[in-house]
Amino acid sequence: MNEQEKVKFFEEFNNGLHRLGRITLIAASLLLIAVPFMIGILNDVSPSGTGFLSGFAKVGIIYIPVAIVEFLVYAPMLGVGGSYLSFLTGNVTNMKIPCAMNARDIAETEVGTPENEIISTISVATSAIVTTLVIVVGVILLVPLQPVLQNEALLPAFNNVVPALFGALGLKYFAKSPKIACIPLLLMALLCIFVPAAINQTSLLLLPSGGLALAIGYVLFTKDKL
Amino acid sequence: MESYLSSVNAGSFFLIVALVLTFITIMCVVFLVKSYRAGIKIGMDKKILNKAIVSSATFTLLPSISILLGVVALSGTLGVPFSWLRLSVIGALQYELNVAEIAAQSVGLSGLRLEELNIGAFVTIALVMTFGILGGVFCCIFFLKKYMGKLQQSPKKEKSGKPGFGAHATTAMFVGLCAAYIGSYIGKAIPRDGYDIMPLLVALIAAACMAVFEYFIQKKGKAVLENFSLAASMLIAMAAAVVINVAI
Repeated sequence: MNEQEKVKFFEEFNNGLHRLGRITLIAASLLLIAVPFMIGILNDVSPSGTGFLSGFAKVGIIYIPVAIVEFLVYAPMLGVGGSYLSFLTGNVTNMKIPCAMNARDIAETEVGTPENEIISTISVATSAIVTTLVIVVGVILLVPLQPVLQNEALLPAFNNVVPALFGALGLKYFAKSPKIACIPLLLMALLCIFVPAAINQTSLLLLPSGGLALAIGYVLFTKDKL
Repeated sequence: MESYLSSVNAGSFFLIVALVLTFITIMCVVFLVKSYRAGIKIGMDKKILNKAIVSSATFTLLPSISILLGVVALSGTLGVPFSWLRLSVIGALQYELNVAEIAAQSVGLSGLRLEELNIGAFVTIALVMTFGILGGVFCCIFFLKKYMGKLQQSPKKEKSGKPGFGAHATTAMFVGLCAAYIGSYIGKAIPRDGYDIMPLLVALIAAACMAVFEYFIQKKGKAVLENFSLAASMLIAMAAAVVINVAI
């Protein structure tokens, strides 16, 4: 295959991936959305419309911009096939991108070439399949442990899973960006000390806290102090 | 609480999740086979393609086990099947827990607390978690072809050497997120009516564990620990919560 034939073949291959990617992503999205409704039907309950809208508004304001930024930044790194698979199977930054980079290094392909694109897709697809298999094995092993996991003695553990997450994550992010973290952390702590009603409204606190951190980050970035 | 847990761990729920994940796995296999065949067609060496598969599989093993630990952490409140689904597709542990907490508050609960959860609230929480994470998927469906086309057409710009604010923006957003939660735990620990010091203690223990992991990762070059640091710090702190509860 000469260079021109290769380019033409690759263009057709990519168009095929786009078609396949779109169809399968639409189908997968519909399946994912159907799951909560199916659980509702099986248990004779339906989702709360107001609860959903209120929750989605709070989640969307944070995660839709994050999703757009991630899409713009990571899609060029992952290529066509890699992007469709990565954005559906998740763990993009902590697994799919390093995995694809590692495979490209091993295969010694050059950025922007069809070979690079093919290796990325193979790498991301393999990674997603392996993760699914590992979790399936884990879940099979986890099922017999359910009576242990549901023991009342473990209630404090599962009731504090969110503090455990934000303690660990907080250390990581605060250490990474202490200049951004100081003011939002201090203000949120003071707010919750002096206005106890705010304590159980963390979903609302995220907005001023996130906005403030973004603004401080931007100021520091423009002053080259990040 | 027991009826909630048996509903979210029902056999039928396992089956639904297994079907969805089978579809997604088949999709991955199709992409893999198509790309492999395309590689052969353009003259790539089979050995290199096989090497890419083997290296990706081995590279993924350890982080996958850490995702599994996340399933354990999430399964206590959201049940095994839904935790399995959520951590197998799109999201990551930090997203899932944060959104579940926000959604729980939106349906009138004080948070993701087992004694307050019921199947009606769960269905709404699951729906918020699902819709909230689909942003990247929708971007791919509607814009990926156009975006990649533009990238290929546009002449390569000279690099200024300075990355844009985009990467910092995501970090700043997460700093704000953590600040809001930690601030609320500090507020909750102040002695007054209904105070609770446990969330702050658990957060501090998790942070201390993470600090130890970070020390070994950054200073001792044990990069392999990076895959486990978050899930392991959380599980240690959660175990500590059980011990503290017995001790108090």
